[in-house]
Amino acid sequence: MKSIIGLFLVLAILVIIPIVDYAFAAGDEPGHYVDRRVVIWNLFYRMMTVAFTVGAVVSGTIIWLCWRFRESHPKATPTPYEKEGVW
Amino acid sequence: MGHHSNWAEWIYIGVVIALMAWVGSEAWNAERLIEHIPADAEVIKVTGQQWFWTFEHEDGTKEIGELHVKVGKAYKFEITSKDVDHSFNIHDYVVLMDAVPGRINTVWFAPTDVGEFPIQCREYCGLIHYNMRGTLYVEDAST
Amino acid sequence: MVLELQKPRPIWQIMFSTHHTDVGLMYIITSVAFLFMGGVLALLIRAELFFPGSQIIADSMTFNRIFTVHGTTMIFLFLLPFAAGVGNYFVPIMIRYKDMAYPKLNAIAFWMIPPAATLIWLGFADFTWYATPPYSIISAPGPAADMWIFGLKILGVSSVLGAINFIVTILKCKHPDMSIGQVPLLAWSFLTSSLIVLVAIPTFAAALLMLLTDRLGVSGFFNPAKGGDPIAYQHLFWFTFHPEVYVLVIPAIGMMYEIIPRFSRKPIFSHSSGIFAFVLLSMVSFSSWAHHMYATGMSFTEKTVFMIGTLAAVPASAMHVFNFIATMWNGRIKFATPMMWAVGGIALFFSAGAGGVVNAAMPLDFQTHDSYWVVGHFHLFVMGTIAFGSIGFLYFMFPYVTGRMYNERMGQAHFVLSFVGTVLVFFTQHVLGLYGMPRRVFDYPPIPEWIAMNQIATVGSMVIGVGMAIFLINMIYSAGKGKISDTDDPFNLGGKYYWPYEAKNPHH
Repeated sequence: MKSIIGLFLVLAILVIIPIVDYAFAAGDEPGHYVDRRVVIWNLFYRMMTVAFTVGAVVSGTIIWLCWRFRESHPKATPTPYEKEGVW
Repeated sequence: MGHHSNWAEWIYIGVVIALMAWVGSEAWNAERLIEHIPADAEVIKVTGQQWFWTFEHEDGTKEIGELHVKVGKAYKFEITSKDVDHSFNIHDYVVLMDAVPGRINTVWFAPTDVGEFPIQCREYCGLIHYNMRGTLYVEDAST
Repeated sequence: MVLELQKPRPIWQIMFSTHHTDVGLMYIITSVAFLFMGGVLALLIRAELFFPGSQIIADSMTFNRIFTVHGTTMIFLFLLPFAAGVGNYFVPIMIRYKDMAYPKLNAIAFWMIPPAATLIWLGFADFTWYATPPYSIISAPGPAADMWIFGLKILGVSSVLGAINFIVTILKCKHPDMSIGQVPLLAWSFLTSSLIVLVAIPTFAAALLMLLTDRLGVSGFFNPAKGGDPIAYQHLFWFTFHPEVYVLVIPAIGMMYEIIPRFSRKPIFSHSSGIFAFVLLSMVSFSSWAHHMYATGMSFTEKTVFMIGTLAAVPASAMHVFNFIATMWNGRIKFATPMMWAVGGIALFFSAGAGGVVNAAMPLDFQTHDSYWVVGHFHLFVMGTIAFGSIGFLYFMFPYVTGRMYNERMGQAHFVLSFVGTVLVFFTQHVLGLYGMPRRVFDYPPIPEWIAMNQIATVGSMVIGVGMAIFLINMIYSAGKGKISDTDDPFNLGGKYYWPYEAKNPHH
């Protein structure tokens, strides 16, 4: 439990604080405007990268589970609960 | 109740929460950047009504269904509606803001490319909602 | 378990019955009928959008009426009554009580649906399923809008009555030997979703009354011309209907919690984390309503608060997914039709959730808001997750209820067609949204990408339509002529006749 809290502290320091910092330092130079297209699409593509990575892991896990633990798989064995006949 | 070990679930939830924290902070940061309206942005008053857009520039010129702006300048839209809800949208510049009667909503952008871009209504507003369209003309600053 | 169709009874005995299985079945049959009616409207919408311009629907007003009634039907007349029907049928069995706590109230709640549905379908209003003012006050034509308002009013009362019944039944009528923690997850899902209904619905009920008096011209709550505020309506509406999304999704997850352990031949991985996630989800469902309204001119602070509230729902949803995956792990999974639907539903649940996170991230909302992205996103939820769980559960309960087996091949074909169709329609719609196509449009400019993607989506909708036709034939034919099934173990899983309260789950 303690290590998890520690992990989050480290994550907070590594990820969140620099972003907050950067945000407050963001520019106000006259004549030089933020391009909302760039900001928004950039954010979108970064999130899609993460979403598709996580999605690949999740759907990969589900597909593997379905393949490995189907009852017709050569290595399929009855679960411990089947012996009692109730689960 | 559970006697089985739950460490896998805790780690998994930790990862999910960390991911959400990342999404939230990135989004917060991006929103903050784009919400900051430059002081020298020129105001364009946008009025939606069934089923066309009216634009009024700072110098008083009015346009209907067409909007002419100069490349490289910042513009601040003050959006309102005369009848029902509309939503002012220039998708190519990711400009989107509802036009609500009795309210003035603002959104700003600085066009970077010369050309013609479609303006559309993205909030259902009745019979001709599907064709409540206009055109944004981004022109060279010299002309 | 009651074998409904093996002991034929005259129809009026079923109609005037207050027994929970009868009422439950009436709910389910009615809701599936509305699934098909709403589905026909969906096919019409998709067919019209196959090409730009007007083809099969004469004018945009008809089109607007069609998508309004499609949405209203699917949410209020299919998903909600279907869940209520499953709950009526199974909650008393699961908590070991002879009936629901208030059987007559139960029958009344059901019988409010047909008149409400009649009002909605005869009116055929055009102001979209969320009836935003000022359009719905000053612009929406005639009695149609008022009939819709009355219909929804009745449905709201029906939901509240049903919710009270579920809460009292589960908390007060459960068997004394059964602690609240042992109540099966499907019953828990009804407890939590009913609590949401009870807290959320009155807000919309009030908003509907105000909308009606505004329409009559005697008040101006939401009419800016009379000093009202249309945004106030949106807050009231979403305060009810964002939690309502969870009212739909929580029972569907509960149904998956029935199917997945059964076909994995293992008990659920963690009963307590399922309960925890349900309770958490029902609470955070109230923290995110205004993420539907980022573009109405909200302040940065408001948007931040509602974004955090929305993201807070993700860990709880992810706990359910974890529970499903951990249950299947090391199981011996039989892929009969219900299991296919449940697993397909989980897979699409992830995509729907990921799309939801994108919508919630404030700046990205300006890309996706009121575009086809949103249409694709919430349809992945309502079709890909909720309807998949519900239809899977319908296949699952079919042999128990009718004593006959559905046709397995047809069931699997239905699943495959629906899965492929859902991916084709709703993933394509996400991309279409990124190209900027607004939702609720009758016609669109002939941009090549838009045309191509609309056509893919239309083809996908027809694939779903074929699957649904197979479903209808399968259900009707098998209910009367299907193979007689072994009611103790219709799916040949090897275990004894099993209902959750009998299960010896080693974890509790």
